[in-house]
Amino acid sequence: MSRPPSLALLLAPRLLAARHALARSRGKAVALAAITAAFWAGCFVFFTRILQFFQTVTALGPILTERLLAMLLASFFAILLISNVVTALTTYYLASDVRLLLAAPVGTRRLHRARFVETLVASSWMVLLFGLPVFLAYGVVYGAGPLFYAATLATLVPLLVLCAALGVLITTALVLVFPARRTRDVLIVGTVALVAGGYLALRLLRPERLASPSEFAGFAAFLATFEAPSSPYLPTTWATEVLIPLLGQRGGDPLFHLAMLASTAAVAYLASAAVVRALFLKAWSRAQEGEIRATRRRHLAARLGLLATPLPRTPGLLLVKDLTVFFRDASQWSQLLLLLALVVVYVYNFSVLPIDDGTPLAATLREVVAFANLGLAAFVTAAVAVRFVFPAVSLEGRAWWVLRAAPVKLTTLWWSKFWIGFLPLVVLGEALIVVTGRFLGVAPALTAVFMATLFLLIAAIVSLGLAFGAAYPRFDTHNAAQIATGFGGVVYMVSCLGLIAVVVALEAWPVSRLFWRSFAPFPVGPGEQAAIAVAFGAVATVTLTSWAVARRVALRCFRRLG
Amino acid sequence: MIRLVALRKEYGTCVAVDDLDLTVEPGEIFAFLGPNGAGKTTTIRMMIGLLEPTGGTVELGGHDIAREPEAAKALTGYVPDQPALYDKLTGMEFLRFVGGLYGLARDGIEDRAADLLDEFAMTERAHELIETYSHGMKQRLTLAAALIHRPRILILDEPMVGIDPQGALELRQILTGLAAAGVTIFLSTHSLGVAEELADRIGILDDGRLVALGTLDELQSRAALRPETAPLDASLESVFLRLTGTEDRRG
Repeated sequence: MSRPPSLALLLAPRLLAARHALARSRGKAVALAAITAAFWAGCFVFFTRILQFFQTVTALGPILTERLLAMLLASFFAILLISNVVTALTTYYLASDVRLLLAAPVGTRRLHRARFVETLVASSWMVLLFGLPVFLAYGVVYGAGPLFYAATLATLVPLLVLCAALGVLITTALVLVFPARRTRDVLIVGTVALVAGGYLALRLLRPERLASPSEFAGFAAFLATFEAPSSPYLPTTWATEVLIPLLGQRGGDPLFHLAMLASTAAVAYLASAAVVRALFLKAWSRAQEGEIRATRRRHLAARLGLLATPLPRTPGLLLVKDLTVFFRDASQWSQLLLLLALVVVYVYNFSVLPIDDGTPLAATLREVVAFANLGLAAFVTAAVAVRFVFPAVSLEGRAWWVLRAAPVKLTTLWWSKFWIGFLPLVVLGEALIVVTGRFLGVAPALTAVFMATLFLLIAAIVSLGLAFGAAYPRFDTHNAAQIATGFGGVVYMVSCLGLIAVVVALEAWPVSRLFWRSFAPFPVGPGEQAAIAVAFGAVATVTLTSWAVARRVALRCFRRLG
Repeated sequence: MIRLVALRKEYGTCVAVDDLDLTVEPGEIFAFLGPNGAGKTTTIRMMIGLLEPTGGTVELGGHDIAREPEAAKALTGYVPDQPALYDKLTGMEFLRFVGGLYGLARDGIEDRAADLLDEFAMTERAHELIETYSHGMKQRLTLAAALIHRPRILILDEPMVGIDPQGALELRQILTGLAAAGVTIFLSTHSLGVAEELADRIGILDDGRLVALGTLDELQSRAALRPETAPLDASLESVFLRLTGTEDRRG
């Protein structure tokens, strides 16, 4: 009888795929590593500063240090738990290769072991990567010895295992109750809503007030009394109890708490193995079932069909198809929640700016902010475009052949995608400029200039989105958020930022000359008029050229995408 | 009706399709055979305009696919080897969408789609999302979509893969009926039985080159003339193995 496959063999497809991907695109890997390293260094510096500051707060310092660590561990734990539930749903129940493994002589115990490692790695690496600089900052600031660093690793491993085991248990329970696809949708929407809610809550707390010493004292007192989850039964409390004594902040029993953490993680792992062994086949079978809601579907399609009535035939068809798919795909429409949070925070920021005290400084600040607002509004539209326009080609997926085999011109396809992206974005961008302009008391003429500039900028941003989306298509995923966060999405955002910076720089002088309080009273001479015309002409040239070049690139990529 | 002239596709130094010349007449069923990696799918993808050839031309119904792609595609129905569709649309919505892309009148699409769904035994699941369909159902839906605009040319890449025996029998009947009505059918298949039963002419592609072209009788005569030692039986399988050299390679 042949030997059962080893864990290494079961994990080999993922490892080999990762190795091949790395070998294929070394440049991309280097760029991503550079970005990650920069972010990592930023995290380290940020937390080092905060902890150094805590050390100066004599009475509250140690409490703040401990509370911050408890809060961070609690946040990591929550993120890891959600991430593991989402990942386990894919690795255990939706991945196409599960079928292959089930058909092979691989026992459920081995299958669980391989999928557990995969879930653990896939859902934990990011938190681990960005969590490590935090722990490093703690060690450096408090001059901790090697024992602290060893204990950090010893604490993190069981914590990660515990989250993964709980994730597998929760996912299996969910799949037994709901169809897998519905479970995935609920999880996606829940996660996005959580992120959007957290972002909103954080902003509405007005953290800028902490810049003022009196406000900061209030915050420190709040943090000190903050009821960070500190129940003696919580794993994050045990983790805190392992690390804080090793920083020399106070006494404790780190070994006992480490043992608690490790034994709980071991029990959770064994429980997940037992549950998967007993219920996997039943849960997997349920996960393959679809769900049927025909009536609602017909209503949605009929309503969307009305939208396309005034449009020419093919663009109308594409619009209805894209919108139908958009509203049926939770990974796409849930992005609207993030967008909403972004817009609310953006407008709120302008409503609380300290620019209404009537001083000359406030007036100057208003003018500067009004001008910066052009760049910021363009940046917001680019941030939205990376989530909605950039993935447009990738979301056609492997069904791209349907469009390419049909008697439809590529330019018609391009225009359809362009209008679907441009119209909502231009409404959003212009509304932001008008509303925030009112908060800032911007002159109507200047608002008109900004609106015209933004109109051209958004056209270029959408065109760039289609070009980069077609140049870096990802047909391997249907998740719009995943597409946007890939390498192509990063390059697209950087390109948009570059374009916005050029346009803002070109418009800086003419706008200040024409509209700013300190310059406006002086008449504009003929030489200045010519220079202003050249500057505005350059803005139009840069944006329209970007639009046209991106359009050409997109069409060329469309042709290749066959 | 279908004309390929010196059609060529190179990927770097690798020649996937090597100066292919071929004509398929109206109402003819042409089967395109060849071992895996011979260049069948590449040829078909160039024919339908999904892939730009390195050289040569493709004419569908007298229209050059490079110069008049819309006119050529309007006459043609295409069934790819992988039935990748829009998972979040229902079967009916998909047919409505494809019918629209091919310029069918709004009123006509509903009836035509309903007829096709009925013909392919999919009416009951017409309003369910495609993501819930089996591979065979997706294959049948793809075929229904290829036929929605009543094409004059039908290009099918491995249409029998994933279809059950009953479905395969029905597909053979549909293809025969379409050919009798004057539709030109270009079919790549691994199923020698299908080629033997359906095809008026057979082309065998090996390493991107057309190594044999003709009716089954012509191919058998040609294979028999080869100086191989083993006697040739009458099946297309023997002809195929001998002409593509796989007989020698497999020992």
